[in-house]
Amino acid sequence: MHQLRFLFCALALFTAVSTQAQPNGQIQSSLVRITSTEVEPDYRAPWNSGTINRGVGAGFVVEGQRILTNAHVVSNSRYLTVEREGDPNKYVATVLFVAHDCDLALVQVAAPNFWKGMKPLPFGGIPELESTVSAYGYPIGGERMSVTTGIVSRIDFNLYTHSAIDSHLAIQISAQINPGNSGGPVLQNGKVVGVAFQGYSGDIAQGVAYMIPTPVIKRFLSDIKDGHYDRYVDLGITYSKLQNPAQRHYLGLKDDDRGVLVDTVLDAGPCGKVLQSGDVLFSIDGHPIASDAFVEYEGERVQMPEVVERKFKGDKVKLDLMRNQQPLQVEITLGSVWPYFVQSHSYDIRPRYVVFGGLLFQPMSLDLLDAYHISELRVRHFFDFFVSEQIYLQHPEVLILTNILPDPINSYLMPYRSSIVDEINGKKIGTLQDLARAFEQPGDRFVMRMVGDGPPLVLDAKQVAEARERIKSRYNVLSEENLDEQPPTKPAVAVKEAQ
Amino acid sequence: MYRISERKSVIERPMFTEHCSVRCRSASAREENAPGNPLRTADATTYRRRSLVTRTLVFLSVALLAGVASLQAKKQPVPAPKLPAMSQGAVEAKEVSLVRVNVTGQPFDYFRPWQKKAPFTKRALGAVLPHNHVLVTADLVSNQNYVELERAESGEKTAANVVVVDYEANLALLEPTDKKFLDGLQPLELALDTVVGDRLAAWQLEPTGTLVVTEGLVTTIGVTQYPSEVSDFLTYRLSIPMQYRDSSYTVPLVKGRKLAALLLRFEPRTQVMDAIPAPIIAHFLKDAEAPKYQGFPSLGIAFFPTRDPQLRAYAGETGKAGGVYITAVEPGLAAAKAGLRAGDIITAVGNHEIDENGSYVDPLYGKIQLNNLFGAQAYVGDTIALQLQREGKPLTLKVKLEHRLAEDYVVPPYNNDEPPGYYIVGGLIFQELSRQYLREWGANWQKEAPQDFVYLDHFQSELFPEGHRRIVVLSQVLPANSTIGYDDFNYLVVKKINGKEVKSLGDLAEAVKTPLNGFHVIETVDDPKQLEINAAEAAQDADALQKNYGLPALQRVP
Repeated sequence: MHQLRFLFCALALFTAVSTQAQPNGQIQSSLVRITSTEVEPDYRAPWNSGTINRGVGAGFVVEGQRILTNAHVVSNSRYLTVEREGDPNKYVATVLFVAHDCDLALVQVAAPNFWKGMKPLPFGGIPELESTVSAYGYPIGGERMSVTTGIVSRIDFNLYTHSAIDSHLAIQISAQINPGNSGGPVLQNGKVVGVAFQGYSGDIAQGVAYMIPTPVIKRFLSDIKDGHYDRYVDLGITYSKLQNPAQRHYLGLKDDDRGVLVDTVLDAGPCGKVLQSGDVLFSIDGHPIASDAFVEYEGERVQMPEVVERKFKGDKVKLDLMRNQQPLQVEITLGSVWPYFVQSHSYDIRPRYVVFGGLLFQPMSLDLLDAYHISELRVRHFFDFFVSEQIYLQHPEVLILTNILPDPINSYLMPYRSSIVDEINGKKIGTLQDLARAFEQPGDRFVMRMVGDGPPLVLDAKQVAEARERIKSRYNVLSEENLDEQPPTKPAVAVKEAQ
Repeated sequence: MYRISERKSVIERPMFTEHCSVRCRSASAREENAPGNPLRTADATTYRRRSLVTRTLVFLSVALLAGVASLQAKKQPVPAPKLPAMSQGAVEAKEVSLVRVNVTGQPFDYFRPWQKKAPFTKRALGAVLPHNHVLVTADLVSNQNYVELERAESGEKTAANVVVVDYEANLALLEPTDKKFLDGLQPLELALDTVVGDRLAAWQLEPTGTLVVTEGLVTTIGVTQYPSEVSDFLTYRLSIPMQYRDSSYTVPLVKGRKLAALLLRFEPRTQVMDAIPAPIIAHFLKDAEAPKYQGFPSLGIAFFPTRDPQLRAYAGETGKAGGVYITAVEPGLAAAKAGLRAGDIITAVGNHEIDENGSYVDPLYGKIQLNNLFGAQAYVGDTIALQLQREGKPLTLKVKLEHRLAEDYVVPPYNNDEPPGYYIVGGLIFQELSRQYLREWGANWQKEAPQDFVYLDHFQSELFPEGHRRIVVLSQVLPANSTIGYDDFNYLVVKKINGKEVKSLGDLAEAVKTPLNGFHVIETVDDPKQLEINAAEAAQDADALQKNYGLPALQRVP
């Protein structure tokens, strides 16, 4: 899916349209234009600061003197300004909270003048199908606010492309929204029913735009009440429907169309060590689970995970299940599942790496693979199956030899590129810290075993030491490592030794 | 209907494989991954050559090769041999020892393993050899239903039989059913002495039977991977302005009226042709004389250059430069039986010293990859002495060469015209993973086929070192009463059925004889991990399945 980032401004419109003609009231006193100067990390030269870009998006005032916008409007931001219509000032703003998994962010402006006359917009609910909505923003670069109207076309779960792995409720609307609408409100009867955030480019589909609906927005606003955004929580399991009569019979189930079969339980998830593959789940928080994995929830038939979607880190969920023909009730304390983050885009962090002997080692991530266009089959396998085959248990960080800064000590090492480090001098390497530590050990040489049956990679310790400054200065390597900035993932599982 | 949604990968997959009897894991493959990388060294470029080997384009249904390994010119270009009769571009067909070969083939349909695809006909030229034999490529006769020889000058036809076929060397011998059919055609002898700089003539026929001769220059001679992606063999590379003609599938290349090579692949844009050289043909013909065709030997090792002094020092190699580092020894094959181990350095094969890049000095070609010593130059049953360095000490091991059959692989790399096995229980279709099956996803199968299957194939020797097994997959589900709710399952690797390990369709056929309490319990590696069907219901479904889906049989167990 090609993501349209509606990075543009939305701003008060007060000359061209009379307020009487606006069914949604004086939107001008709530809309802002956000300009973000962002630094995009350079994974191919991770010691550099990266490329500096500027983007513009929209936002709107919500309760508590805060501005709501999309996460992608303020991602990787180093400097933020906000403007109001009819006011020549640019106000410096800071990001209060950012939720990359649902593409929302809150921004604050310290200057009291800014807030004069600004009014928070109230929130509505989920609009009816076919009802009319209006989107506000500054698409394709106009100076004045644009309003487009359309109807609610579809309400369904959809991928949020900002992170590339999260799916939440999203509402498809037929109002034309384009780059420049991002972060702008979508209103109905004067109330916010969504935040415009993504769509398709014309060569895939036309007139398909999406907004983030209020349940997702409200969840975000609730999550941050404790002063910290904790992300969405997940059970960390996969399951199958139980629709086959023979399978139900085999498992000793009644013909009551209830229950789903647990396939995989991720060790790193909240159900790890609690649920088992083969368990049959009957109800979640007392809501019966149908054999097609739907539950009745607040009067609607929704997919089972939606019950968890609305909960927060540390919340509990009760599961009724059957294991080995015996009924069982368990309580799960919900949390997020970090291995998934390796497969998602990351923001607001500097790439982690180690340069040693001119060899650049970096932990596998979606952005890393994108930057290098790595197509090596083993790396692809480690990436695709990192979660589902629980590769993270052995390799919390998959450390790839991504690049080689040529020097006499590594003249013959090019063939090792894109291979994955398994051990150094007989010690298993599971994280970048392990790798950095292994290179600090005294010894004559470093013998690195890469995953697979390839040859060992051998570095002579003395020669590496001699080459160090030479390589640093030749390639302008400002720093030989970045270990400090943990990805939000923070591999929590220790490497299983000697497996 | 059965090409159920193929999994798409986000990022591109590699186009190469590393399956060959003597694999040079020079990891050149990895080098492929970063086009335009400014840090690529000259060193890397040399490696790159090998990885290009399996990049294939298609022309005349013949794959084209884009790179040749370690090629060395030994001689200065020599003047073209005089071919007086052909200087006008045409000679009498009866003089040229060619026959047309028309092959009607009908490949098996691995997505519907109970049936064959629609038949189609390929036209080619065959080289007439002694003993009433006609030489063609194996590609031509794969999946053949009917082979016909046609005299170019008269159009007279006769049926022919395939005497021997070798899919690794891509060669096949045909024999006319009418013993007198080839009378009057002078059998071709082999020209074994082609070197770089020689001119070879490609022989093609006009529709009238008139011979068309195109000359090309042999630019390089090296070892490359053949289309079966099993072995690396000697290859001639020519620069030749050949035109497409009817019956161009197999084109003989001639040097002074002797057969020098056979077209392997041709790229019309660059006019580069790779050809199967006479030494490989001679090897094939000699094997074909034996009561049982043996094929080319396979050593079963992967090796790596020892140019890096740090690697040499680690391996305990302090002497003069040379030798290759063995990175893997395939269990159960010749090298393993002889006692070779990963970490050994091969310094000599027979009397030939091996340099640090894995080349030896051939009397005819100069430096060429050591694979050639196990390809053109050695036969199954030969014993070859390998000089090794193990932990710094010299060691000599004798290897008795063997051929590795396609069926000895966990994922067979090619098919010997055997029908694919399958087993249908209820509507669940089980098949064995094979390269042929993966190739059903098209020329780009390494990207298009289910990626875990591609992974299992690519790393089979690493993932299944014990060998002696197949990978059984639940490939698709035909909706039936017994499979309600399972319609969306496909491409699942099967672990156990009814509590028994399944390492072949034979195992599966055994396992389904003993349902557990009336159920077939299928355990898979992938989600859903387990599915069950009612054994009695599955048996009842059998007739309806056969009738509804037109299945001639519910199983074919190899």
